[in-house]
Amino acid sequence: MMKALGPLSRRRFLTASASLGIGTIAAPYVARADDPTLRITGWGGKWGDIMKAEIGPAFESEFKCKLQTDSAFPYLPKLQASSRSAPIYDVLHTNSNEQWAAAEMGLIEPKIDPKLVPNLADVYPYAISDKIVGVSIFTSAIGLGMRTDKGYSGVTSWKDLWDAKYNGVRGGYVIPVNSLGQAFLMMCGTLFGKGQTDLDAAYAALEKLKPIKIVDFTGAMEKMLLSGEVGMCVIHDSGIYRYDGQNQPTDFVSPSEGVLSLEQVLTITPGSKMKELANAYVNYMLRPEVQKRLAETVWYSPANKKVKLDAKYDAKLLTTPEKVSKLIQVDWKWYNERKDEIDQRVNRIFRA
Amino acid sequence: MNSTAATRPNGLALFILPSALLFALFFFLPIGLMAVMSVLTGNPVVMPKVAFTTRHYVRMIGDPFYLEVIWTTVRIGLVTTLVALAIGYPLAHWMARIKSRTGHALLLMAVLAPMLTGIVVRTFAWMTLLSDKGVVNETLMSLGLISQPLKLMYTETGIVVGLVHIYVPFMVLTLTGVIGRIDERLEQAAENLGASPLRAFLEVTLPLSLPGILAGSLLVFALAISAYVTPILLGGFQIMTLPILIYQQISANFNVGFAAALGIVLLVISLLLVVAYNRALGLVSGQRELQ
Repeated sequence: MMKALGPLSRRRFLTASASLGIGTIAAPYVARADDPTLRITGWGGKWGDIMKAEIGPAFESEFKCKLQTDSAFPYLPKLQASSRSAPIYDVLHTNSNEQWAAAEMGLIEPKIDPKLVPNLADVYPYAISDKIVGVSIFTSAIGLGMRTDKGYSGVTSWKDLWDAKYNGVRGGYVIPVNSLGQAFLMMCGTLFGKGQTDLDAAYAALEKLKPIKIVDFTGAMEKMLLSGEVGMCVIHDSGIYRYDGQNQPTDFVSPSEGVLSLEQVLTITPGSKMKELANAYVNYMLRPEVQKRLAETVWYSPANKKVKLDAKYDAKLLTTPEKVSKLIQVDWKWYNERKDEIDQRVNRIFRA
Repeated sequence: MNSTAATRPNGLALFILPSALLFALFFFLPIGLMAVMSVLTGNPVVMPKVAFTTRHYVRMIGDPFYLEVIWTTVRIGLVTTLVALAIGYPLAHWMARIKSRTGHALLLMAVLAPMLTGIVVRTFAWMTLLSDKGVVNETLMSLGLISQPLKLMYTETGIVVGLVHIYVPFMVLTLTGVIGRIDERLEQAAENLGASPLRAFLEVTLPLSLPGILAGSLLVFALAISAYVTPILLGGFQIMTLPILIYQQISANFNVGFAAALGIVLLVISLLLVVAYNRALGLVSGQRELQ
């Protein structure tokens, strides 16, 4: 026998309304509660767009899970602040220098298990070299970017950046916060001293680069180059090639001394409760078809040797062992051990 | 005396309790944590062995670079405050004394309008004006007045220009209220007794508006020394201030302890200013110190 409902009191009405409201808000989460969630980091821009529209949903569909992406940089301080046993991310995607810092703090697993990530067998040696923690899924070539409408010609060497004709239109990075800037500092040691670790030679070279306009992110450098605010700068090839077909008066120069490697690295956090899914994600990102789609969208050179890019991309990106051999990798472990000292010095050098 | 009434919490206290708790949780607790982090070797929540240390403060004192950064931050704050006061005072005086309601409304809208746009947008607008390829340099070059772009950005002057634009409304709004409460008849009496309008202003209006000047200056100074976006964008990372250094330590060096120590220094500078303000206000208002 059904119990008759009493009159609708104010208390009952408020209770019912609150329950309905909470239920409505919580419904989508309750419905998806069974799906495991893989928490990752990732870039915004074109990378973020295609990950959100295609690559991410395809992974979710295949592995019956949810991808939760944090694209609000910086990631490492957030991971650093979270519990080691319940980290904020399962998979960390950053440049190589930060991955080394994370490894030194014990925030990530330094190596990926090839048994759990079979596609690791198909990557170029640089992607899992002793200069890399985790695996590099893509790389860009750091070289020189220049305006083609200013009469600059014969640019072949890194040393051309020091030419006085670029005073006022020379571009570089805030070295303490930017991977390209840090890699370039090491290149200065090679160019003007005994090698990457010759910091005194590097500092002296940086001093001679002034006047120089410095920015924190490559996106800012791209905008300065496109606007003509900068005419010659340190930049990665992707930052120039992504404007392909837009008739921009800019070009990328691979210096004769070699290009620096800007790796996109994936690692797994030790405390992740989604290890199997995390390894599956790393393996998925190394699949030839995923690599091809991403490479042709953001102009990153794929790490998987088996990827066959369309001719336009193949001509410019590092897609053969010969081209890949031009890459110069930085010893980030060495660099990070001296980062405070380097930061203090370069902050002084570039102070107005 | 009724003891029950004496021990019973009054209604106002209960009313204030939630906001007091909120204030304690989101203001005092974070500052307390920051102070603790500044004297620890690591984060005790995630690191097993953490000890007390003074190394972050020793590092700051031992390296003149950090002292120069602190001085640059304070200098930018002081110049910004003085320029904002110079621009804001006449405007606030005009707003406080204008007879027309429409005129007052228009002036108020003019002051408030920039605040409806975000700081980032306004700073980018300044960049389009002040950069080498910006409106100012391009115009001057097209008129043949200069052959090379003037260095308007990546300087302290550029930062001050951007900060003043952002913080002048805070100065104006603070001053308008104070000047508006000054009895105009006092100035009229001074003039009737033979003082010129300038002397009447200097000896009557200006001293009476000092509390507003001090309050507005305190507000603008505190905002200017803690600004991050404008110094970064208009200084082009070549002018290092404390907030930029703190961000660098957190985001790129992952040195939370040193960042916390820098934060405490920034806080101490602000607190010293509040104390100085309190004393100055007490002196100008005829008291030894405000209670």
